[in-house]
Amino acid sequence: MALLLGASAAFLLADAGAVDTSGKAASGAAGSSGAAAGAAATAGGPGGSGPRGGPAAPFSAEGQLQRQAQLAMWQGRYERAEQVYLAYRDATRYPHDSRPIAEHPDQVRPFAPVAEEVSLRKPNGEPVRGVRLRTTQERVFLSGAETVRFTVEGVNEEGRAMPLLVTRAAAQSVPDTRTPVPLISAGLTFVDNGSGADQQAGDGVHSAQLSPSQQGFSAYAGTIRVLAQVTAGGESGVAHFDVIYTPGVPATWAGFREAVENGSLNFYLKVNVSRPGRYVASARVDDANGNPFALLQFNEEVAAGPQEFRLQVFGALLRDKAPVFPLGLRDVEGFLLLPDQFPDRVMMARQVGTVYRSASYALSRFSTDEWRSEERDRHLAEYARDAEAAKTQVQRLQGR
Amino acid sequence: MFHRLSPVTNRTTRRLLAATALLAGVAGALHATNYSLWINGRTGGGQPGNHADFTYWGPSGTAGGVNKKSVNWDGFNRVADQNYRIRDALDCYCTGNNWCYIAAHSAGNLQIGYALSLYGGTARQKKNATPNASGVCGNTDGTTQTGWNIKWVNVAAGAGGGSELANVGSWAVSDPLTSDLKTATARAMYDHNQTRAKWFYMYAGAAGTLYSAVLPGQDDEAVAYHSAGGVSGSGGAGFCNPSDWFCNDLTLGTAANEGGRAKWSFHSVVFRDDTESFNHYTNGNWGGVVSKVRADMAANAN
Repeated sequence: MALLLGASAAFLLADAGAVDTSGKAASGAAGSSGAAAGAAATAGGPGGSGPRGGPAAPFSAEGQLQRQAQLAMWQGRYERAEQVYLAYRDATRYPHDSRPIAEHPDQVRPFAPVAEEVSLRKPNGEPVRGVRLRTTQERVFLSGAETVRFTVEGVNEEGRAMPLLVTRAAAQSVPDTRTPVPLISAGLTFVDNGSGADQQAGDGVHSAQLSPSQQGFSAYAGTIRVLAQVTAGGESGVAHFDVIYTPGVPATWAGFREAVENGSLNFYLKVNVSRPGRYVASARVDDANGNPFALLQFNEEVAAGPQEFRLQVFGALLRDKAPVFPLGLRDVEGFLLLPDQFPDRVMMARQVGTVYRSASYALSRFSTDEWRSEERDRHLAEYARDAEAAKTQVQRLQGR
Repeated sequence: MFHRLSPVTNRTTRRLLAATALLAGVAGALHATNYSLWINGRTGGGQPGNHADFTYWGPSGTAGGVNKKSVNWDGFNRVADQNYRIRDALDCYCTGNNWCYIAAHSAGNLQIGYALSLYGGTARQKKNATPNASGVCGNTDGTTQTGWNIKWVNVAAGAGGGSELANVGSWAVSDPLTSDLKTATARAMYDHNQTRAKWFYMYAGAAGTLYSAVLPGQDDEAVAYHSAGGVSGSGGAGFCNPSDWFCNDLTLGTAANEGGRAKWSFHSVVFRDDTESFNHYTNGNWGGVVSKVRADMAANAN
């Protein structure tokens, strides 16, 4: 009996492919009010027939309205459920850790400085009209002997550079505790003379570099806040940066290898692990022409000692996108994830640029099979069940 | 409005999957329960670990989806050191045969995003949906599963992209969470595109006026559209309603915004406050843009 019900319902669902899933579900969802749901919960109304009842008596005006509200609600649910099912099915053609990089637009260049633009604000918090600060910081998280570069420049509302002076700057620890603790602070010097961290003299971009391990923070774990007092347009204000620092390095990189296994191309990042735990790593894959192609991620528990992080370029992804070989592995990053504490990570050294090139392979060496897993089957089963249940309700309310 | 889908090209495969789904459904539906999990934002208010305490949101009798639970965390400390509260609740109600709808407000956006991105592929013990006083449930059969059973996520006034108010210290407080809400920090905390293919439906309010000089584009008085709308890239970019000719539009759905800035993957703007009527705050009565999410949960989290 279950088999018959299942098969019958499956064909109903298959028919649902004709439903437009391009965007109605959202409006339906957003448009469904709680009141409508409340009506739905007690729906039926005078004169309404049961789902499998005989010829129905005519609906009263109120009954008609309730039925229409029910229908709208179930149509919204159906469209959303169908969209969730189809999107999940299509997305999980590849595993979650082997993705087209187009899905991760802000992960293509992970080591690009974080750039922001804000109004200059006076010490009392009031914004200064006509003066904006463009800031960059090289990174947010850093560990061990890593350094971080900051820049600040002044621009007007049209985005044109305007003179700016950094009068004073300092880095200071920001303890996450209400218990009084000694603060750590260090002076910083922003310059625009082409020396040190500054890349070009006189371009209006003032730069400074913080080296926590050498500036008193070597035993500190937490937020370091950099405040730079600036003057522009005759007004003073503050540029403001936070970085999160942890001492030590949990693991070091030790090379690469690759292998074609089970229809996919696997890159193995060799690692010497000094602190065991859950490691999170990622790398970008470019084709032979330098076009970003895939984002590969790793997130697993790792023991101490020599280890390998496997980053998989899934076979079907290779077959679908047909990148030009050899592939380049670029911008590799990783950290030890520390659960339930802050800071929650200890960074490994960045591997900047293309750090490894694959061999060249014929695409036919890779599998076209889509990803299979218990996780995927479980989700598809539930999402399909939701879509089917909602469709049944829509059909019932439409008298079909 | 939703993510563009590829056409259904393999109907046979689809029928097989659906048949599998329904067979599994018939077998598994006997003990399956759906839950609606509400994840609060900054300030908190409910008792952490008490899933029946809706103090943060409003009257607990208000409809908010099937079997609603309040995933209370303190709204004060860092996302990382409070995230266990969220993972505990997800383990409780969203494993085994049970499935969840998620509603998040403000910094609750960071909490669910962080959990899915960094822990969404980890082995989870299947739990019995019966929490103790700390919000931890017992195991069922001792087996594990990969990740959580989540249908979709509704986000009201999401702070996943941080707030410029945290950047400049406009919030006259020194809570650790405010440091996490700095735009650069919030956006670097995890890969926001990695949701394990779970949809984040974004609800963005625009009734803010007080901090218009600080928050770029449209805002709800705490977060700007770049965050509430799930816009990728750096903070500081202004996005507005279509009526504003001098500012790029926050587009509905998954499409890139006017000016070309993409949204995070699996993020879809389903509500944009074109009439500038909804602010950030629940006001103890499911208020502000939370009212839109609550209505949707009541209607569709079934």
